[in-house]
Amino acid sequence: MKKQSVVIIDYGMGNVGSVKNALDFLHVESATSKDKGVIKKASHLILPGVGAFAEGMRRLRERGLVETLKEEVLGNKKLFLGVCLGMQLLAEVGEEDEINKGLGFIKGRVVKLDTKSSKLPLPHIGWNDLIMVRDNPLFKDVSPLIFYFVHSYYLKPKTESVITAYCDYGIKFAASVWKNNIFGAQFHPERSQMSGIKVYENFLNIS
Amino acid sequence: MLKKRLIPCMLLQNGQIVKSIGFSDYQIIGNPKIAIKFFNAWSVDEIIFLDISREKEYTKRIRTDYNFKMLYSFAEIVLECAKICFVPLTAGGGIKTIDDMLVLFKSGVDKVCINTYAAKTPNLITESARKFGSQAIVVSIDVKKKSNGKYEVFIAGGSESTGLDPVNWAVKAQKLGAGEIFLNSIDKDGSLSGYDLGLIKSVTSAVNIPVIACGGVGKWQDLVDGIKIGNAIAVSAANIFHFTEQSTKHAKKYMVDSGIDVRI
Amino acid sequence: MHFCKKCVYPSASAVKLTFDEHGVCSGCRVAEEKKKIDWDKRSKMLKDLAQKYRARNGGNYDCIIPVSGGKDSYFQTHYVTKVLRLKPLLVTYHGNNYLPEGEYNLSRMRQVFDVDHIIFRPSEKALIKLNRICFKKMGDMNWHAHCGIFTYPVQIAVKFKIKLIVWGEHGYMDLGGMYSLNDFPEMTAKYRFEHACRGFDWYDMVGDEGLREQDLFWAKYPSEKELEESGVRGIYLGNYVDWDANVHYKLVQKLYGWQEARQPFERTYRRFSNLDDMHENGIHDYLKYIKFGYGRATDHACKDIRAGYITREKGIEMVRKHDYVKPRRDLERWLKYIGMREAEFDRIADTFRDPRVWRKNKKGKWEKDNIWDEK
Repeated sequence: MKKQSVVIIDYGMGNVGSVKNALDFLHVESATSKDKGVIKKASHLILPGVGAFAEGMRRLRERGLVETLKEEVLGNKKLFLGVCLGMQLLAEVGEEDEINKGLGFIKGRVVKLDTKSSKLPLPHIGWNDLIMVRDNPLFKDVSPLIFYFVHSYYLKPKTESVITAYCDYGIKFAASVWKNNIFGAQFHPERSQMSGIKVYENFLNIS
Repeated sequence: MLKKRLIPCMLLQNGQIVKSIGFSDYQIIGNPKIAIKFFNAWSVDEIIFLDISREKEYTKRIRTDYNFKMLYSFAEIVLECAKICFVPLTAGGGIKTIDDMLVLFKSGVDKVCINTYAAKTPNLITESARKFGSQAIVVSIDVKKKSNGKYEVFIAGGSESTGLDPVNWAVKAQKLGAGEIFLNSIDKDGSLSGYDLGLIKSVTSAVNIPVIACGGVGKWQDLVDGIKIGNAIAVSAANIFHFTEQSTKHAKKYMVDSGIDVRI
Repeated sequence: MHFCKKCVYPSASAVKLTFDEHGVCSGCRVAEEKKKIDWDKRSKMLKDLAQKYRARNGGNYDCIIPVSGGKDSYFQTHYVTKVLRLKPLLVTYHGNNYLPEGEYNLSRMRQVFDVDHIIFRPSEKALIKLNRICFKKMGDMNWHAHCGIFTYPVQIAVKFKIKLIVWGEHGYMDLGGMYSLNDFPEMTAKYRFEHACRGFDWYDMVGDEGLREQDLFWAKYPSEKELEESGVRGIYLGNYVDWDANVHYKLVQKLYGWQEARQPFERTYRRFSNLDDMHENGIHDYLKYIKFGYGRATDHACKDIRAGYITREKGIEMVRKHDYVKPRRDLERWLKYIGMREAEFDRIADTFRDPRVWRKNKKGKWEKDNIWDEK
């Protein structure tokens, strides 16, 4: 693997430890940080997170990370992977309880999984299939395409062309997105055994 | 489609993995981190760690001829194992308070499992579900069949009777906020004679939350029966997965061949 | 520290024991199970299993038997060829510590049985290095043998596409009751890694004393992928046959002229065990005494008490007589073999003493609680 420096963004929304464990397993050095200077030096950025959209955005704003991420990801085109809540925060707005502004890196909104007709319970929790619709370097040589999900909301992009994989839970929703240097995974690669480890490995191999 | 799940249950006694018969006869299998290392390479969907130590006396031995770290507390074991466990990890055993749960979540677990104190102080279920989310709270129910043929819930490692009926208790636990039920038959534990399918079915037909079946698996067909006949969403075993090479891989292959939608 | 009420194992044993409310250890409990087993039923189960693995059209060996040339090896080969009527390939990891009687028994196997036999002899230079390295790292100069015996036959099974390996007894189940007889445990990579190799593997030895990966090819266990693709499976004959060392050795002596040790061992009363490795009853066992406070005499006494050959009192007598003995003959051979002085041997050995077992008395000498002092 080419020399890279990986930063897992720590904005107090949990989960950084398990992502770091996955990278340690791959023998890839990584840092967990909220520091602008450290993030600037990174070649790859991972934004994890579990919890609510509003809370996530609040914590990013508190730490001045919204501007930093805009600079690094949109401006300097750093490779970026948003996982679970981290993928949802890419949206322009989120619709939990009230409307909240997101990072806006991908045009679209975050909505609740509609289980009115399917009567399925929320959250969507467990192992589910990915339905690939477009090639995505994250999924190179990944098998099986079955991942672990824990969420009640999902990112609904304005243009379907950014969606590389769907998942079916009563309705079809975006399980993975890709736009230029920006990647998103609604599932938890660090909880998806070897398929998930390979997804991280593939992300880190992109240069 | 959401998959059915296969979940090895690791019983920990004083820091060592043990197998169990009838909640009373124990045999030592080995080190938990090594077990995780191997299960992680095979196909498992989740792992459950249950600390069943009675004295909570962890081996103070300093054995210097082993190439693995000696670990002196449940939290430490969980922390070390979480580092190499890339499937959801549930931990339980003697959890009494929210603080006990916090320690485990900080160590890297995804869900906590409560048994004795869920029954003694049911408010614990509601409080913890509110704080951590229902999906992170598993209520474990151990059941014995009485001489009159009726089932009863036992706590404290099967030693204390509660007078509770397992179906009623499971329904109440769901109402209080439990995300999942881990259902174990004390009579069937270590018997290798299959799940108590009647018990499992009675609970799965009464609740809407996932039920994980445990207790009695002796062959892979038992896992299939647990899902097809018992209607469990997930199947677990504490003993059999420690017996053979790539055990869970073979179990899953068998389940897939029997038409179960499980990840392989 | 306490002792089993039935046999003579200490609670701090190398093989982990659990004790029931009567103070009886798990090893004794599993041994009791033996009496209740329907061995005829098991024999039939094994015949059916063997039939499944018989090579189609006789195009390959039917199974592999890992052998050392000992009484168990002879019994396993006897059972596989005469009772199961399979064509086995015998595979031996030769650790270079054979007694002459052991070497004799080993080389005769292809003569007295109609079998092909691979005897793998690693480089003596590499073995000597491993003796030193492992003695220092973990107080066990015989680690190479624990590793080799459990690795090499499995490599051959994968290479030659022979799916079935017939091992003898499950060590930890037999001694310590790790499993119940109803569990039918099989040989696994995990068991080898954790219990035979103690969490060490070939890559931990590379670089020490100039050892290279090329010196350790025999120590590399097949990968998860190779195991899955080859379908290699290791069963224990001890799950299907009422295993009794005393019965076996008499049988193989009578039928095949198997020889026991010409001279008595210093550290145990049996003469038919471990002729394939003189250190197993010698300094390797003495190190067990240093680490855990007991030795082979205890192991053998426990087996014989459980099988009803001797009383617990007789067992205690044997333990008292043999466990503490520093085996001069064996120690001298080893010190010369690897080039070490006795003082250094003692110094390194002492670093492995279990503090729960050993303490220093007023005179600065090591002492411990003994089974014959128990009330």
